[in-house]
Amino acid sequence: MALLRNLTKAEASDKWEAQLRKGCLELAILASLWEKRLYGLEILRVLEENSNLVLAEGKVYPILGRLKEEGLLQSEWVEAEAGHPRKYYWLTAAGRQKVVSMGHFWNSFAANLNQLLKPVLNGKGR
Amino acid sequence: MMNTAACNPMIDDYFAELERKMSDLPETDRQEFTRELRAHVFDRLEQVAVATEADCRSVLQALGTPEEITRQYRLERIMTRSAWKVSPIAILRTTVRWALTGVQGFSVFMVALVGYLIALSFYLSALLKPFFPLNVGFYVGDHGMTIATWPAPGGAPLLDDYFIPICIIVGYLLTLGTTLLIRFVLRRIRSLKQRIA
Repeated sequence: MALLRNLTKAEASDKWEAQLRKGCLELAILASLWEKRLYGLEILRVLEENSNLVLAEGKVYPILGRLKEEGLLQSEWVEAEAGHPRKYYWLTAAGRQKVVSMGHFWNSFAANLNQLLKPVLNGKGR
Repeated sequence: MMNTAACNPMIDDYFAELERKMSDLPETDRQEFTRELRAHVFDRLEQVAVATEADCRSVLQALGTPEEITRQYRLERIMTRSAWKVSPIAILRTTVRWALTGVQGFSVFMVALVGYLIALSFYLSALLKPFFPLNVGFYVGDHGMTIATWPAPGGAPLLDDYFIPICIIVGYLLTLGTTLLIRFVLRRIRSLKQRIA
């Protein structure tokens, strides 16, 4: 985990990568909630396992707040049996719809770009 | 149960700083937000039985500085709230904050500022007319059209009976127009942001 963070911090010096990561974070957050409701740290853990999108963990919370404000998420404080209460988030119907349409967009977007990048990454043609 | 005694001063300092940075924001929103962040910090620290200062430092470091988090918080708020705001003061306040984030924000702020200032000058003209009837008015002269001049330009001003209502209506339309324009731009940028994501 620490290794991942060091790696991503070094990469973040690249502005383009930072922008791209920022843009994808919202989709990743919504997608992480597809299966079940999660609280902030659980969302972060899912993102850590499946992507290297998160640079500063605290920044995820304002985004969650906005997604809720936009009606894509709903949230509730749940008292834990031991320890302190946690704020759980889940997708609303609008949120589920949104993440599906974002996913489709992402797929075609990535496919087009990969197509474009084929000759570049194959190192042919020069 | 975890033991975070070694950490508590550091955590308190961190949240005191965060509260200070967010002090101008509505209290209920702020409390809700910091409560959630605190829960995050304690969850992270729960992973170790006795949290040392070093554990605490790395948890807070991973969280980001209060400054970074506050900046993100404000940005996200700008994207939702101000798209629905109508008051010029609220619009100006959010665009000021946004202006600090880059060229795009700065240009939106300038448009808002110029729009509202021109509107304000019309309101002021309407207000000053009764006190300086000869100086304030629509005068068409050698220098083009003027509204308020010292010394009095002489000659008959145009539409003098309607000067005050015209100024109020134009001022109002400018205020409304600027507000609608800025709200449109904010929403547009927000939806663009969503489309990119």
